[in-house]
Amino acid sequence: MPILDVHNLSKIYEGKVSIHALNHIRFAVEKGEFVGIMGPSGSGKTTLLNVIATIDEPTSGEVRINGRDPKSLGRKDKALFRRKELGFVFQHFNLLDTLTVEENIVLPLTLAGVSVKEMEHRLIEVSDRLGISTLLHKRTYEISGGQIQRVAIARAMIHRPALILADEPTGSLDSKTANEVMNLLVEVNEAEGATVLMVTHDAVAASFCHRVIFIKDGRFHSEMYRGTSRAAFFQNIIDMLSLLGGAGHDLPAVRL
Amino acid sequence: MTFRQFAYRNVTRNKRKYAAYFVSSAFSVMVFFLCALFIYHPAISQDMILGTAANTMMVAEGIIYVFCSLFVLVSVGSFLQSRNLEFGILLMHGMTKQQLNLMVFLENMMIGGSAILTGTLLGLLLGKLFLMIGSGFLGIPPLTFHLPWQAPVLTICSFVLLFILISLSTFVFIGNEAPRGLFQGGHRGNGEPKVSKELALISGLLLLAGYGLAAATTATTVEIMMVPVVLITVCGTYLFYTQLSLYIVGMLRKLRRFYWKHTHILTFSGLSYRWKDNGRMFFMVTIVSAVSFTSVGVFASIHTLSRELKLDYPAAVGYVAKGGGHTSSEEKDLRGITAELEQLGLTYETLRIPLKVAAVVSQTGPDHTLQLPLMSYRNYKLALEHAGFSSNEPPLEGNESLVMIGSQRDRSLTAERFKATYTLKQGIQIEETGYTQHVPVAEYLLPELDGRGGGDFSGLVISDSLYNLVIPVQQDWYTGFYVDDFTRTVGVASELAAKGKVPYEEKSAYAVVISGTLFEIQRTLYSTMLFASLLVGTVFFIAAGSFLYFRLYMDLDHDRLQYSTLSKMGLTDQELDRIATLQLALMFFIPVLLAVLHSLFAFIALQRLFYLSIAAETGAVLTSYLAAQTLYFFFIRSRYLRNLKKNLI
Repeated sequence: MPILDVHNLSKIYEGKVSIHALNHIRFAVEKGEFVGIMGPSGSGKTTLLNVIATIDEPTSGEVRINGRDPKSLGRKDKALFRRKELGFVFQHFNLLDTLTVEENIVLPLTLAGVSVKEMEHRLIEVSDRLGISTLLHKRTYEISGGQIQRVAIARAMIHRPALILADEPTGSLDSKTANEVMNLLVEVNEAEGATVLMVTHDAVAASFCHRVIFIKDGRFHSEMYRGTSRAAFFQNIIDMLSLLGGAGHDLPAVRL
Repeated sequence: MTFRQFAYRNVTRNKRKYAAYFVSSAFSVMVFFLCALFIYHPAISQDMILGTAANTMMVAEGIIYVFCSLFVLVSVGSFLQSRNLEFGILLMHGMTKQQLNLMVFLENMMIGGSAILTGTLLGLLLGKLFLMIGSGFLGIPPLTFHLPWQAPVLTICSFVLLFILISLSTFVFIGNEAPRGLFQGGHRGNGEPKVSKELALISGLLLLAGYGLAAATTATTVEIMMVPVVLITVCGTYLFYTQLSLYIVGMLRKLRRFYWKHTHILTFSGLSYRWKDNGRMFFMVTIVSAVSFTSVGVFASIHTLSRELKLDYPAAVGYVAKGGGHTSSEEKDLRGITAELEQLGLTYETLRIPLKVAAVVSQTGPDHTLQLPLMSYRNYKLALEHAGFSSNEPPLEGNESLVMIGSQRDRSLTAERFKATYTLKQGIQIEETGYTQHVPVAEYLLPELDGRGGGDFSGLVISDSLYNLVIPVQQDWYTGFYVDDFTRTVGVASELAAKGKVPYEEKSAYAVVISGTLFEIQRTLYSTMLFASLLVGTVFFIAAGSFLYFRLYMDLDHDRLQYSTLSKMGLTDQELDRIATLQLALMFFIPVLLAVLHSLFAFIALQRLFYLSIAAETGAVLTSYLAAQTLYFFFIRSRYLRNLKKNLI
């Protein structure tokens, strides 16, 4: 059974001019997969992510996470569902600046009411894996962007969610730190078996995924598997983007 | 868009930000205007007794004005601080410092001008109501609505001046930094709050010392202790907000078992930053509230004193004809009083008793009395009988004597007072053995025993036999007119004493006290003081609320971002409500509760000055303030939560 099953998902924003943001999208993500979602600006990536994150309601169709459809849940249960099943990594990090690094990381566990001992145990485990053990007592304004995003990843995975949702995780980082962060996400994905769904503009970041789904104008356009070579995959992604227009429009359609 | 339009839109499109400041300023202007309306009302300013009321109101005006200047200065300062980013953008687009100054000046004057206008108009609207309430307070027939030209002129001129001066003084603060510096808006949590253990400890000690001293003061030491105790408490309060409270939260954060539990981590980390940013504001709110609680409480309590005035004035009209070298007009004066009383249709009894004034050679104790008024025990009993007091004091023997209390206030001083023994010129010794249970002769009618500071003790009651032995240097005659309802004697003998009394110490041939007139003056004075302090207290209260509102508003964007992240992470609405409510509640009530605690101890100290319990009045004052604060809390809480959830998923 897939961890995430998106079935005939449509989203229409009502208004003076109604916008068909998502149009019968369907795909599935298996456990342990690392999936990227790409598409030009305005293609509905963020809407898709929001609907999957239970933050937005679909107009029709359904999303099943771990076999459950959160659409039927009430507001409070939805929140509890997110708390348990989902982990979030944001473009702007969104760490709480009133908390220290370690407090930020254990936050999902404290909300869940886990014992202090268990929290400390998992904190050490996660921070070792992400190489941030030395930062634990620092404040968020004392560490660099790359470090902050690592902390955010730690926060997203410490409660072992079914699905980690990443929204442009490299969007605010320089290329070197972006690569580091992507490598970490891959490591978390491989070693912990965490399932990751990432929305990105960045072809380099997307090339770390197992599979990239392209959407355009709210419709499923195509998908691409990585195979063995990341370099070739990167090239394919670039080609696809230039075909789609939008972000890759300044690149020639055919490259040798 | 002209420059003026630009400034205008800056203000009108930020209505919410300035709302509380505007309301508070307009309210102050209104109260100021209403007070002026009262002061310059012809029925008030031309009346002898009510003139004192106008003076009290004038003091209230002054306090409101000074407080308003501070309030406007602090508010404008924090508005400017919150706009650094905006100023940075403007400077970067080539706005000159002069233009920036002009813009800020125009904005301030727009808000100030509209506050003055609104306040004055509201004042005009509510003027009649206010005058009715005011006359109700003073117990005078309702005042007609009358608009003296001084009231609006005074209000508008003084507040325009206030806003102009403060707007000009803000030029010093703005646009001095380079635009780059202005862009780096204040991220929250920049810098861990600096807390030192020693200062936290000192703060606790100062507060305890302040409270301890306040609780330990006695009637005689209240005046000496007042200033140091207030200073100690003010310092302690400041350190409490900037050190002790942060230290306590810091300690809590170390207790993982507590801190890492559910939403505690969010509540207390947020709280510690709010506290750090707003410590000084909380300090001001606390002190301002404590001052207004205490003053309203005191004036509400003083009011109770007049209820017991009958005990202080045994005779409705008291007259003492001084013997010795004075040419006496006693007969004529007494005839005049009698005629006036008869004219008023009052039935009265008179009592005329002699008083001997003896010369003192020496006495034990710190004071030195030159002239000692003496009354015989028989006459003392007679005086009490006429006044309708009963006493079970046994007859005096030998050289025993009772000190006459001049008013009921003296009772609280008797425990501390040194009982002296006097040696008269002729060799007779008189020993003070106790105090009279009642006031036989009203205050002012006899010379005071211990100088001005030591209460109103006036002379001794001695045994009849001793009295007969004493050779007086001066023979005085006391005449009391005893009336059932002393309040009806207002205005009697006004040609003898314009303001109801001529104290013995004055250089006239007589001393006189008309209790009705005194009562009327006192009642008017106390009522006005209570009324004025209620008004000023309300101004303070609303200003304190405005500070809180503004601080919350400033943090709103930050809080919104934080809660939207948390909400995505799965914080439920109930948890969010709980966190926000707890934080707001602590912000709203800790300053007020601390202020209540401060004023409670102030009341404990002041209670020593009153022989009547002031618990009921102060309790009522504190309860109503807490109730008002609670209402305000729920109002702000609902608005804050609604704003917070606006962009939430």
